[in-house]
Amino acid sequence: MNRWFAVSACGEVPHGAVAHTQLLGQELVLWRSASGALNAWENRCPHRGVRLTLGDCVGEELRCQYHAWRFATGSGHCTHIPAHPGQKPASNIRARVYPVFEDGAFIWVNLAHDAVPPNAAAAPPGLALRSIFTRAPVAAVTGQLLHGYADHAVCLVDEFTLDVAPAAHRSVRFMLQPVTGEQCILHAHLHGEVTALERLSVLKVHNALMSAVRDRAEAARA
Amino acid sequence: MNPSQPESVLWDDWHPVGELAQLQRTRILHTMLLGVPLTLVLAADGTIRASGTGSLCHGPLQHVDIRYGLVWLCLGTPGRDIVDFPEAREADRIVCTGGSVGVAVSGLRAVENFLDLGHLAFVHAGYLGEEPHTQIHAYKVEPLADGGILATGCRVYQPHPSPMDSEGFDVDYIYAVRRPYIVELFKANPVEKERMDMIALLVQPVTEERCVAHILMAYPPHNVDVGSLRWFQQLIFGQDRPILENQIPKRLPLDPRAEVSVRADNSSAHYRRWLASVGVRYGTVPAGAT
Repeated sequence: MNRWFAVSACGEVPHGAVAHTQLLGQELVLWRSASGALNAWENRCPHRGVRLTLGDCVGEELRCQYHAWRFATGSGHCTHIPAHPGQKPASNIRARVYPVFEDGAFIWVNLAHDAVPPNAAAAPPGLALRSIFTRAPVAAVTGQLLHGYADHAVCLVDEFTLDVAPAAHRSVRFMLQPVTGEQCILHAHLHGEVTALERLSVLKVHNALMSAVRDRAEAARA
Repeated sequence: MNPSQPESVLWDDWHPVGELAQLQRTRILHTMLLGVPLTLVLAADGTIRASGTGSLCHGPLQHVDIRYGLVWLCLGTPGRDIVDFPEAREADRIVCTGGSVGVAVSGLRAVENFLDLGHLAFVHAGYLGEEPHTQIHAYKVEPLADGGILATGCRVYQPHPSPMDSEGFDVDYIYAVRRPYIVELFKANPVEKERMDMIALLVQPVTEERCVAHILMAYPPHNVDVGSLRWFQQLIFGQDRPILENQIPKRLPLDPRAEVSVRADNSSAHYRRWLASVGVRYGTVPAGAT
């Protein structure tokens, strides 16, 4: 599917971090090099299939836990095979790389290999809310959201995106990540200024509201 | 879906299904072999009654035996005897099992990992290898006369090669894959130059994506005790297990293009080709399936 999906808030993958996620059944490793370059790869070493999320970031490379093969940020090319330290790895040895970009608030991934990141405008200032994992498909969550969110009307932007009509000076954008056909993650970005003093209470309020959406979507499936 | 019977090379052969010592404690053991749920009962006269449930195999099973401290079972008609381990029959050796560990992966992946030299410096760092001794020199792999493969000339620097050795040295390894799910490792013994330590990995294929790994050891009797041997093997296998359970796919791919191999993977490449040549499909992703 040639489409961009939000898979994580940018702050969840700091420099040197290795994180796991899944999109449309495909397991991904999200990792950021020491210099800050972001990568979204198939979560599988091309050598013996071990999940790369077991590995760690070493400078500008991701190192597999099993045989310590190293793969370069950006291209995914294997740069070092410790069993044959004097030899340059064959150029066809590489991790499977997916297109990725970030808009300042969220990380976006496209499973179509030839997809080119859009020249999208940066996300408006705001606050990434806590992402909520849900054991229900995307349609079940959007169905619940369309009943309203804290008594505010919600409108469907597209199959995976919803907006809460602005309340006072703030609005919320929901972005749904289909994990598998039966699971999804509800991401949300609150647009507008949030002071340091009110940040925690805002996060708590939305965490409760979004968790209730999850509970209703899961109950509707049961 | 009705499961089909696995191929004869596995169905009509003997497999380990448990440790005798465990059965002696519990008298009854529920387990599974090649998808067939099994019940083993130790009778008062020391014999074992085995029965299967399920569509492939239902009722009492004839072919059950005890050897090397393990209970062995054949679901079909045995085409050959239980694998022979001559070292385990030498009177002066310390012979013991090393414990049985369930692993959520194809047993063929577990055998391949046992054959693997390149991971020793990383997964078993400080014991069976360590940086910067990561290079794997060329070694020889050839067919065994009665089936299986033999890898010789493997040499790796090991800082702590066994529970008895606290100093590192270059250790010579020989591997013999005797059955699709059974592999032996011979390691140079630090005291006796002519005899080697024998460690066998005997894998019980539970389903295509689950196994129980059993260990059998036979060591020349120098500064060895059973408790240390078992402790050491369980430590080592405990380091392998999280790797094994994170391999995708869980079944072993036989298509050489499915996973990249380098020279250090000589044993693995031969093992996969041999499995394909003798018609093993259970626990594999057959070539051409993807």
